[in-house]
Amino acid sequence: MTRTRRPPLGRSLLRLFTVQGSWNYERLQGIGVGVAEEPLLRDLRAAGNGAVYRAAVARGAHFFNAHPYLCGLAVGAAARAEHEGATPDQIERLRSALCGPLGSLGDRLVWAGWLPVTSGLALIGVALGLGMDAILGFLVVYNVGHVALRWWALRAGWAHGVRVAAALHQPFLQRAAAWSGPAMALVVGAALPLSARYLAAGFTGWARGALVVAAAAGCALLWWGRGRLTGLRYGLALLAVAALAGWVWR
Amino acid sequence: MTLELQLFLLVWGTLVGLDLVSVPQMMIARPIVAGPVAGAILGDLATGLELGVLFELFQYDVMPMGATRYPEYGPATVAAVSTAHAAAGTLGLGLGALVGLVTGMLGGLSMYVVRRATQRAVQAVAGRLEAGDVRLMVRLHVTAIARDALRAAVVTAAGLALAHVVRLYFAGALPLRGVTLLGVAAVAGAIATATAGTLRVVGRGANLRWFAAGLAGGAVLVWLR
Repeated sequence: MTRTRRPPLGRSLLRLFTVQGSWNYERLQGIGVGVAEEPLLRDLRAAGNGAVYRAAVARGAHFFNAHPYLCGLAVGAAARAEHEGATPDQIERLRSALCGPLGSLGDRLVWAGWLPVTSGLALIGVALGLGMDAILGFLVVYNVGHVALRWWALRAGWAHGVRVAAALHQPFLQRAAAWSGPAMALVVGAALPLSARYLAAGFTGWARGALVVAAAAGCALLWWGRGRLTGLRYGLALLAVAALAGWVWR
Repeated sequence: MTLELQLFLLVWGTLVGLDLVSVPQMMIARPIVAGPVAGAILGDLATGLELGVLFELFQYDVMPMGATRYPEYGPATVAAVSTAHAAAGTLGLGLGALVGLVTGMLGGLSMYVVRRATQRAVQAVAGRLEAGDVRLMVRLHVTAIARDALRAAVVTAAGLALAHVVRLYFAGALPLRGVTLLGVAAVAGAIATATAGTLRVVGRGANLRWFAAGLAGGAVLVWLR
């Protein structure tokens, strides 16, 4: 067993900010995870285990996919397991086992929670006239949560090693996951009418009626046609129809 | 618009495109940030905020998970603001949305191309990666990030070029009704997309009640103002 006295978690954290830089269809985040894990493995080389170090680095760059903010958990846990002499099979199983839970937890917490909540608040702020203050507020508040989550994940992974599953049962994570859905629904729900009012301020008369009809029809089409029709396609189609109608109806 | 301003927009669009996936994912890639900053660069914050809100609503259609392909609305918003700048009110909204949506589609396609290129680069050195060649791994990673930066720059440049063409040939050619209809289409598309996208995530369970409560609260605020 090789135990580092003061692991370079800061250096690993900095590299984790680029974890998806080499995302590709073969290893997905694998190379990025390997790059982030490498500073935590240098003790193996320093201890004269060059072959062990290189094998650990190679394992670190294998296929991996999870939420990018929570990759640190796998990076820390795998590096700690390498130091504790876990077998290559154990480490591969650990990495595989973490992909699903870290992906779904991160999606719920961040992509479907923290991000729409904070961006929804920014939309509300802009609609209420806060302007650039709302944007700066969004960036600061969102990134406090973002950086804290990345840092916690890396530290928790390093602290728990192969028993990292325990970290995923932290009460604060469970509470955050439980609250993220309702909070997102409430904030984005409130942001929608305010944003609509903000964008439609220049429309009067028939234009407002047309807006309500086109938005309602679009919502129904996108809901029933999900998987086939995307917002981008609907938007482009609607713009094409509007351009044609505007050209005919002079 | 001066060449200097176009270059600032190009740099901003590149940073925004890089932030989406590669580095550092601090959400300057969100239209609600990309738009106002592009507006501030042009000295037209109001247009930046307006297009930022519009494309932020389109963004609610996207869940950036795993290998899914999705439009890239960051550089698209920068191009949209460039289009809408100096085109007053609803004309700016409609034309900006048109340029932004086309650029967003191009951005999504370009991400696929770059990911395939990175995949080929990884496959070409798979043996050395398996041997634990750290220098090679880091070089591969840095090169992939540079490739993504180049991709973001090309997408932004294409969007800005499209914006220039649209400003030049379409801005003065549309009748008033056509201008209004384009604006209505842009806003209706954005609201429909955001509502349907949010409903997909909210589902039919208890969260639907929270969504309804939010809608009601937002509607009351609109009425009070």
